[in-house]
Formats: sequence, structure tokens, C-alpha cells
Amino acid sequence: MAENETGLPVHERGGRGNALPVLEAGGHDKDGSPGWVTTKLDYVVNWARRNSLWPMPFGTACCAIEMMASAATKNDLARFGMERMSFSPRQADLFICAGRVSYKMAPVLRKIWDQMPQPKWSISMGACASSGGVFDVYSMVQGIDTIMPVDVYVPGCPPRPEGLIYGILMLHEKIRGESLAYDSLRSEDDERVGRANLPAHAINELALPFGNSTQQNQVSGLVGTRAIARPNDRQP
Amino acid sequence: MPESYRDKLEFRDALDQLAEGVDRGPAQAPRSGREAQADEHPTVAALTDALGADVVLRHEVQSGDEHVVFLAADRLTEVMRWLRDSAGYDFLKDVTAVDYGGGRPIQVVYQLWSIRDARGLRAKVELPLDALEVASVVPIWSTANWLEREVYDLFGVHFDGHPDLRRIMMPENYAEGHPLRKDFPLRGRFSRAEQTRRALSMDVEDFYIPDEMAVYGSGEAGTSRPEQDPAAARARLMRSGGGPGAEAGAAVPPMRPEGAPGVPGSGEELQEDERA
Amino acid sequence: MSRRTIEYDVRTSGQMGADGRPVSVPPMPAGIEPEMHGEHMLINIGPQHPATHGVLRLVLELDGETVVRCIPHIGYLHSSFEKLGEYRGWNQIVPLTDRMDYLAPLIYNCAYAMAVEKLMGVEVTERCKVLRVLIMEMDRIFSHLLWLGTTAIDIGAFTVFLYTFQQREEIYNLHEGLTGARITTSSTRIGGMMADTPPGWLDAVQKWVDEFPRTLDEVDTLLTNNNLWIGRNRDVGAIGPEDAVDLGLTGANLRASGVPYDVRKDAPYYDYETYDFDVPIGEHGDCYDRYLVRMEEMRQSLRIMQQALDRMPGGPINVDDPRLILPPKTDAMNDMESMIHHFKLVQHGVRAPAGESWYSVESSKGELGMYVVSDGGTKPVRWRVRGPSFINLSALPKMVEGHLLSDVIAVNASLDIVLGEIDR
Repeated sequence: MAENETGLPVHERGGRGNALPVLEAGGHDKDGSPGWVTTKLDYVVNWARRNSLWPMPFGTACCAIEMMASAATKNDLARFGMERMSFSPRQADLFICAGRVSYKMAPVLRKIWDQMPQPKWSISMGACASSGGVFDVYSMVQGIDTIMPVDVYVPGCPPRPEGLIYGILMLHEKIRGESLAYDSLRSEDDERVGRANLPAHAINELALPFGNSTQQNQVSGLVGTRAIARPNDRQP
Repeated sequence: MPESYRDKLEFRDALDQLAEGVDRGPAQAPRSGREAQADEHPTVAALTDALGADVVLRHEVQSGDEHVVFLAADRLTEVMRWLRDSAGYDFLKDVTAVDYGGGRPIQVVYQLWSIRDARGLRAKVELPLDALEVASVVPIWSTANWLEREVYDLFGVHFDGHPDLRRIMMPENYAEGHPLRKDFPLRGRFSRAEQTRRALSMDVEDFYIPDEMAVYGSGEAGTSRPEQDPAAARARLMRSGGGPGAEAGAAVPPMRPEGAPGVPGSGEELQEDERA
Repeated sequence: MSRRTIEYDVRTSGQMGADGRPVSVPPMPAGIEPEMHGEHMLINIGPQHPATHGVLRLVLELDGETVVRCIPHIGYLHSSFEKLGEYRGWNQIVPLTDRMDYLAPLIYNCAYAMAVEKLMGVEVTERCKVLRVLIMEMDRIFSHLLWLGTTAIDIGAFTVFLYTFQQREEIYNLHEGLTGARITTSSTRIGGMMADTPPGWLDAVQKWVDEFPRTLDEVDTLLTNNNLWIGRNRDVGAIGPEDAVDLGLTGANLRASGVPYDVRKDAPYYDYETYDFDVPIGEHGDCYDRYLVRMEEMRQSLRIMQQALDRMPGGPINVDDPRLILPPKTDAMNDMESMIHHFKLVQHGVRAPAGESWYSVESSKGELGMYVVSDGGTKPVRWRVRGPSFINLSALPKMVEGHLLSDVIAVNASLDIVLGEIDR
């Protein structure tokens, strides 16, 4: 790679002589790897982003209490720059869905996620937000990833504050690995407004009962219910 | 010294049953309730004196000390008003319903309490599945407002005279039926994808009931928003959702009390549940 | 440079008036400002909102800043606990009860177990009774602490939130010591408890009981005679006793209106009549009275906890009933009959006789009713939870009529609702 007077590398294709090197659309070198400037800029930007993630606490149920506890004095979110809980999605970076989400709440959740401007990340906190949890019932969303994209899943019922913090640190690692070069990562995608995040067959597949749920869909047994069962519900 | 549990009769019994492989049916299950005489509870005695013995269809005692009276649906308002005004039951703790399944009548259960006498009474009304209607007690106790709405939402019992009978727990466009009925499957009637699609396909206006929208309709600066025709709005809501990607032919079947066949368009074969 | 001292007279100096309540500034006399009316406005609060204490949606019709009508919408957290309970065995429902009122899970665990035990005609051991009283009172304080913290933060006092949450962390440790979990405790079983108290746990509770009043006093100093607190809460959301009973309010909301109804006194359970405690009754039924009633309730709960700790008997924690309780593990491993017994209980679960039972418990939010209906099987036919917050919230429209928008938040906070219990 050529160098100009300042000693910084410059792309030969975009060469501007003595000016500062130009970041190509994509910021890649000719050989395809990210340029030096790109990586340094990425480093700085990602450092700034991950160390002041302003959470949008979408707390619905018990996990919200543990989220509040992780913001309180004993497990202090302020050391991660996250004490400023932004209840307005317009000013938030991190969407923490803490608690179970019903189908009545789903459009609200989707709308809040859509209202958040990029860059935005999401944490699905707890078993109910990640997969429906204990509630494999008619009114519960079986995992918010059917409705919106999720970056980190934090299991637990509810996860301890330490668990949530571990998830946040995992997100920090994820942010570290991002690059401005990847345009599609941070595009404001309007076409998906109002649609589910996953296609229909994926939602049905994810929501199939598994494990104990397959055996726990019968009532007292001494009473004939003539309820309609779905044979797929009985898969192991 | 307490005797060992192994010597107890129930344990021997359980072992025998295990050997035989037979489970007791409901007819042989032990019962925690018994028939009671009217004079065992002062209120029931006074009630039969005041309004006649035929208002109380049955009187039993459950779990040792809980008195339950079965009332006739047609005289419910009269009896409830008497209970509040003359017997001092000023506190309605709960209104709920029980569906026993198998075509049996649904019981609407009222839990009453008298603060001054520190005495409780449970009143029940049995409604056949094809006539799930009963008078509302909202004019008598205001607390019944939301309680009856919940019973309507989850069981489909219609309360005559309720000021605002609409769904409370389920969303306004919920089309799968009344969830707590025994013939309603645990995971709902529609597939998860369909439930998700219906949830995400509501417009902003669908979140407001006509009563609320009327706030703007009445103003002279008539806004662009008001829903002038609530019936049309409801019809639109209850149809296939109308959002992008509505499945073709996913019309909502009319609500049937039991054994509703599969919803067309959901692509699944549905069959009857088996007994355990 | 000279210093200038500024003095000003705030008028609500925390002095107590003749009626025993702090003196406040007299309201502005009428006629100062012309009455202004305009078109009514529709405002939507929630379901995602910091101050609604969960996913509650309030639609307000406003005339300026005055609330003309308030219509609450619930159901955003409807998890169909009651339907799910019909598909679970009697003991399997206990974990579900934690997730309804997640602010006082032990009260729900105990109330449910008590209802089923009544249905079965089972009398738990003395130790179990006293332990359940102890943990129920502990969770009453636990829930009131959260109410206090979130109400203060809604009104604007952030420090109280931190103090109360620090005390809640201590209770979390106690929960964890007894049950293994901080919030979702699932500690009761039909016929007893999941496990007896670990060694040292009762001493830890005693230590906490000794230290907690200091925090209560601190919060008291911060809030009770604070002009801002009084100004935001006094005469806000007042409701009279007849209306309160008619609307079905229970708990501190009812008692603050002057109605002396407490399930622990009027329909006592677990020997509550032998404990020495008072029930605070308010007068005016406004937010300030509800605050005072709950603060005093916490102190009374401490009294009960101390008495429970003093009288904690020894003995087994679970009943000795083969229909309910698993045999000791060493027996089950060594003895065929015990193994079969264990097998029957684990495979099929406990059985209840056919019938029904209603059990009322004074929860932190109000009167919690558990109604279980059984047909003789291992699962209930119907499990109904009379959640106090559901009915308390239905009184909100009446309480905020004519108040300002910011008062709606104060009244909502003072009702102490938890959406898990409302939406079930």
C-alpha cells in the first residue's frame, strides 16, 4: 500500500494525493481485507458505542424486577455507562426485553423496536422473552425473535443481575467485532415494519412443543374435554 | 410416637391400585363437599324465608365450612339485591366461572362477604352451554364490572345489563374464541404464525374503542381520524386482519360451543383430544 | 466579599396542625383565573411507560390538564395462568404462582398451598405454619419496599428507590437462602414446604429484622413530613368508604379509606389471632393516607416476624402423609415399598378429593383469593386467582376523575398494582 506524506496508508484506487486517505465504500483494501483506517475507526466507534449503551428497558414482568435490581446499588449498571434508562426509544441504543410478551403486547414491542434509530441492539432477557418460557399457551409470544431481531439471549427465570450483566458484556464483545464497513448491518429498514421477523414456517417450527411440554397438554383426565388438539403438539 | 407411613391404609391402597393398574374414576373419587340443610347458614335460612324456598336450588358445604348455594338464573337479580341490602353482603369478592367440560353446564360463581358479620357465602348459577346468559350484578356491586368482563372474555358468558361488556384480557381482534373453555386447546386454535400475523396487523385506530374515539368525533374541529361506524370497524377487525400478507381464505369460522373443526387455511389437521 | 443570606417562608414547614396532619398551603381562591374550556384531548399512557408499573395502558380524556375520564386497558401480560393450571399437577402449579405477583412470591406460594390443603383436609405442622407466617410477613415488607421505591421515583424522589432496593437485596439473600431463588421462590408444596430452613437462616432473618427499622426510619424522615411529598399526595385520589367497598378495594387502599377490613383479623388463618399486631386504618382515603398505612404496615409486619421467630417450634416441616410427601431418599433407595410410593407420587402427582375450596389471604396488595375446583384427579378443573390488584385497578377511573394528569401517576402508584396479578 502506498503512503502519502503523512505516513498514513492511502488507497491507490481512490488516491487523492496529499489528502487524507479516502475510505472506499466498504473501506476495503484492494485485497479485500478491511483497511487500517477502517479498523482504527471501527475500534474507536465501537468503543464509544459499547461503553455508553443506553438501555430501553422494555420490562413487562418478573425479569423487569431483576433488571431494576441490576440497575440498583448492589449490581450497578452505571459502571457500564448504562444507568440512564431511556424510556423513549428515540434516545436508546439497547432494547432489553425483560419479561414475557403476549400477542396483545407484540405490536407495541415491534413498534418500539422500529422507533429506535440505528445503531441499536437487543437483548432478550429471560426464558419467556427468548422462547416463551413456562408459557406455551395461546396468548404468549414464543420468543421475541419471531417478532424482532435479537442479538443476545440471556437465559434464566429470571436471570440473576449477574446473568444480565454477563449478557451485556457478551454484547460488548459482539459490538467490538462490528465494522462500519458492513453497510447492511445498520441500515434503517423500513420494509419490515409490521411484519414478523421470521417467516411463518420458521415461527411454527420454533414454537413446536418440546421436552416436557409434549406431555403436559392434557387436562385432569377424569373429564373428557373434546378439546381440539394439534397432533404436532405431541412430537418429542 | 407417630406410626410409620407404611402402616397407613392409604399407602396400602395405593400399592394395591398400582398392582391392579386401575385408576379411580370421578364417581369413586372422595368428595370434599356434602349436602347441607338450609338452617346451617343463617343467611340461607333467611333467604328461603324471605324469597321462598325455590330460589335456592341446592345448598352444599364444601371443604368443611364453605357454604355454596345454587340459584336460579331467572331470579338472580332479586336474590342478589336481597343479599346486599337485607343480609349485609356489601362486599363482592369475586365473580368467576367454572367449565367442567364434556358438555356440562358452566357455573358462574359469586363470592360474597359481609364485612359487618364477617361471614361469607358462595352463590352459583348454572348455565347450559347453549344459553350462556345471565343478569349482570353491576347495578348492585360496581366491582363486578371488570370481573364480569373477564368472565365474558374467557368463557363467553353474556351478562345482560352490563354497561360495557367487551373483552378485557384478550386483544380486541381476538378471533379464536373464549380461552378458558374446556374445548379450547391450550395453545390456541390458530397456528403460531397466524397468531403472530394477526397480532402485528392492527392499525393504530384499532387500539381505541369507539367510546374513546368519540372524544374527537364530537369536536367541531373534526379530525381525519374518527371511526364513524363502530360496526364496520369491528367487522374489519374480526376479519382476517387486513394487514400485509393476509393468508388467502383465512376467514374466521363462527364460534361453535364444542368441537369446532379446524380453521381453513391454517394447514393443519385437527382432531379430538384423547382422555388421559 | 460579603455573603447574602436568603430566607424564605415555604408555608408548609412540616408543622403539624390541629388534626394531627401536616399543615399545607391553602388552595388558591376561586375567581382568580377565568375558567377556560376547550376541546377535550385523548392521551394514551403506556403500555410501555416507566410509571405505569408494568404493561398497563391508560387512555385519558383530558380537558386541559384535568382528567375527565380514564379508561384503563389491561391484558398486555395475559399469560393464562389459570388455563395453564388446568394442565399441571397440584404441585406443579406452585412455580406458576411465583410469576403472578412477582413482588411477593412467597405469599402466593403459601396462599395456593393453603387452598389446596384446605380442599384436601390436610393440616400442616406447627413449624410449617409459623414458618409460613414468617415468610408471608417478610414478603409483605418486600412488596411494600418496592411499592415505596417506585412510588417515590414516580413522584420524583430517587434516593428512596436506592435505599429500598438495598434492603430488598438483603431480602433477596434471605429468599435465596431458604429457597434457592431470589424472586421465583416456589417454596411451598402441598402438605408443607420444599425444604426446611437451612442452618443459620433464622439467625439471618433475626439480624435483618433488627437492622431494617433503621432504613424505615430514614425513609420516613425523607418523605413523611416532606412538603413536596405531601403536596403531591394529600387530597389526591381520595375515595370514601362506601365507594371503596362497592368497588371492591382491598388491602391498604380500603383501610386508608377508613374501613377496618383485614383478612388476618376478620377471617384469621394460621393462628393470626394469637399474634399481637395492629392494623393501621386511615381516614381520608387519599394517596397520603395510603402511604402512611403501608409504612405502618411494614412496622407491624416486623412485629409479627419477631413473634414468629420467637415462637418457631421444632419438629417436622412436612406432614407425615404418604399421599402427599415423598419418602426420605434413603428409604426410597433401600426399600421396595418406599420406592413404589415415590414412583406413584412422582409419576401421577398428589390427588385431591372432588370438590372446591376458596382461601383468602391478606397479601401485600389486598385480599388474595385462591379458588380451586377439583374432580378427584391430579390436576385442577379450575384454578382461579382473585388478584387484588385487578379489582383495585378497576377503581382507578373513579379515583382520578377531576384530578390533574400528574395526579394520575401518583394515584396509580399509590394503588400498588402488579400487572402479573392483574392480567394473570
